[in-house]
Amino acid sequence: MLDWLTDPFAGGLMQRALAEVLILAVACGPLGVWVLLYRQSYAAESLSHAMLPGLVIAVLAGAPLLLGAAGGVLAAAAAIALASRDERLGGDAGVAVAIATLFGLGALLALSPDVPARLGELLFGDLLGVTGRDLVEAGILAAAIALALALAHRRLAMSVFDRAAARSLGARPARWELVLLVLLAVCTVAAVRGLGNLLVVALILAPGAAALNLTTRLPAALGLAAALAGLAGVLGLVASYHWEVAAGASVALAAVLVFAVSLLGARPLDMA
Amino acid sequence: MQRALLESLLLAGLAGVLGSWIVLRRLAFYTHGVGTAAFPGLVVAGPAGVAPQVAALGAALLYAGGVEGLRRTRRVAQDAATGLVLVGALALGAVLASDVFETGAGVDRLLFGSLVGLSDRDLWLTAGVLAAAAALELGLRRSWLAQGFDPATAQALGTRPRIADALLLAAVAAAAVVALDAVGALLVTAVLVIPAATVRLVAGSVATLQLGTAALAAVEGVAGLWIAYELNVGPGPATAVLGGAVFAVVAALRRPA
Amino acid sequence: MRVEGLSGGCAPGMRVEGLSGGYAPGSDALTGVGFALEAGTIAAVLGPNGGGKTTLFRALLGELPVQRGLVELEGRPAYVPQTDRTRLDFPVSALDVVLMGAYGRTPAWRRIARADRDAARAALDRVGLAAEARRRFGALSGGQRQRILIARALLQDSPLVLLDEPLSGVDAASAARIEQVFEELRAERRVLLVATHDVEQARRWDRVLCVNGEQVAFGPPAETLTTDVLRRTYGPELVVLEGGRRAVAVEHHEH
Repeated sequence: MLDWLTDPFAGGLMQRALAEVLILAVACGPLGVWVLLYRQSYAAESLSHAMLPGLVIAVLAGAPLLLGAAGGVLAAAAAIALASRDERLGGDAGVAVAIATLFGLGALLALSPDVPARLGELLFGDLLGVTGRDLVEAGILAAAIALALALAHRRLAMSVFDRAAARSLGARPARWELVLLVLLAVCTVAAVRGLGNLLVVALILAPGAAALNLTTRLPAALGLAAALAGLAGVLGLVASYHWEVAAGASVALAAVLVFAVSLLGARPLDMA
Repeated sequence: MQRALLESLLLAGLAGVLGSWIVLRRLAFYTHGVGTAAFPGLVVAGPAGVAPQVAALGAALLYAGGVEGLRRTRRVAQDAATGLVLVGALALGAVLASDVFETGAGVDRLLFGSLVGLSDRDLWLTAGVLAAAAALELGLRRSWLAQGFDPATAQALGTRPRIADALLLAAVAAAAVVALDAVGALLVTAVLVIPAATVRLVAGSVATLQLGTAALAAVEGVAGLWIAYELNVGPGPATAVLGGAVFAVVAALRRPA
Repeated sequence: MRVEGLSGGCAPGMRVEGLSGGYAPGSDALTGVGFALEAGTIAAVLGPNGGGKTTLFRALLGELPVQRGLVELEGRPAYVPQTDRTRLDFPVSALDVVLMGAYGRTPAWRRIARADRDAARAALDRVGLAAEARRRFGALSGGQRQRILIARALLQDSPLVLLDEPLSGVDAASAARIEQVFEELRAERRVLLVATHDVEQARRWDRVLCVNGEQVAFGPPAETLTTDVLRRTYGPELVVLEGGRRAVAVEHHEH
């Protein structure tokens, strides 16, 4: 039985993939808890879908993927902010236009050249192609996110728990909402190599949602989310090895299944 | 190619009839969700020998049921529930696809549509949905309008909003399902939402909105096909980029007004 | 202009002159407010919904987008908003909420000081909820939540406390406990500014400020709680009960 769990990780390829998901779990898990508490799931989804052109351009130009991801996320944020400004349209139509246009642009750029930009890997991740250097980059970003969340913890809590009183308690809510969005963007950039821009939100939202289902204390939820994200990573990789299916998608699916299982437990919070 | 043209025009009709309501009733994300959720269904449709529209409809039902079920548990907020179900559908589709498809090309076709591969049956289905949607719209437009404008009093006005709204959601889902073949699972909003949103920026009445949307969607659909043919890509991305560019131009020109 | 941190001693805890402002340039929600409160005072703020009570609080907190006039405060005020506005689904216990009162004075990299933790427990005890310290905030009753928010304000240890309708919809036991805490705070030489609709309650305190878009009256209750002033403050919302006891009828509001 134990062999079944350890066999997949005999080779360097899978070992690096494992390291990548564990590194990402440390950042995506806790960040996801905050994203859920701040009710920014839609923003997480929108940013990740709309960043595709940045990724494609980086691949076509031979530039580092990280750079393309960062540029893509910035462009996406700007486009979404602009598009949602029109009162006539109502929030979601403008954002839908921005996302579809950018996502379509990414696909257009990726599919038209004679040498296609391996669109599938950008969309669904290239977890098994992670290099040592990718691990270092992801590690730095994940550490930065974890550190930022630790330092900002109390201000983030105040700003979302009691927005009216936050100022008098010592935190400006608008500023910390922005900080969270920035951290979300950074986390998306970090995770896109392994999971692809379509599946990134799985590792951000699902473990956090599961953790909030299982505990009523915020610090416990943050730690549990990281642990559950790591668990999803391990389970996904093991499944992908034994059943020969896509690695990144398996990790994403495992995360969603972990969430589904968490629904079976008792009901500590009324989140609706 | 001829079929693709015809399909484009039929979809433009749907965009006119329903796209306006999608924008007015804030259903853009729902539309996108139905399309995306259909992805795993589409992946297994071929090997299972099932018509893609049927698989897509089944997946759409599961999506709607899943989101509603999550909402009822009260354990997760609405936007998170939708996000989780959709990313789960994408992950499931990708996992299944790595079993079903040898190369990425098959997946690309499902995600972004294709210029070839439309059958007569697809056209008939689209025409059927268009006819049904038009009929529904004629009967229910007052209810849809009242509910969107002032939900609190719509019931009192006697317009039966709950049934009418359920039918609206069903009609939009059906429209998304028939649009899948043409533009792909991830870009149904390119034909069903973008033209309507563009015209909404300048239209003064629902009627203008609908006619304008149908016209714009027809032009964008055909032009999108041409671009897709020239660049050898799926129609979805081409239509989306074109539509987005038109939207940006209209939005920029409109601002001084 | 807004100044915090006057020297202590005989200087008033709060002084306001010619305060006007609102949420957008050119449309003032509040005009011509001027009053001074000495340390050890409880003042009621009366006024109809939308009449400017919350706007006044936001101006005192420095949160009003457009603001003119002079505001001098002895320190940064502690603020107890209506509990409707807190997130009840948040994973925090009663003690966690009280501890938020110490967040402002704790740098990001330090743990909350032991002294602050002890003070938080003491504050919970003062409002009679020591036993509920570990329970989830959202699971408690409205009156208990209100008391916890007051305990949080106690932990902030500010010379000025602003409270927005702290007693509306609160059970009798909680209300009694809360009023007792008010008396203790007054004895500690703090300034309390309490927005309320209860005229009888205002009569028991030291000063009354009536606002309805502008300042209608300010002074001791005997001078300000006259029919004329109340009518000018509340307008058509005023209901006069038989026996001459005045009362105010307001609909339940949701912000």
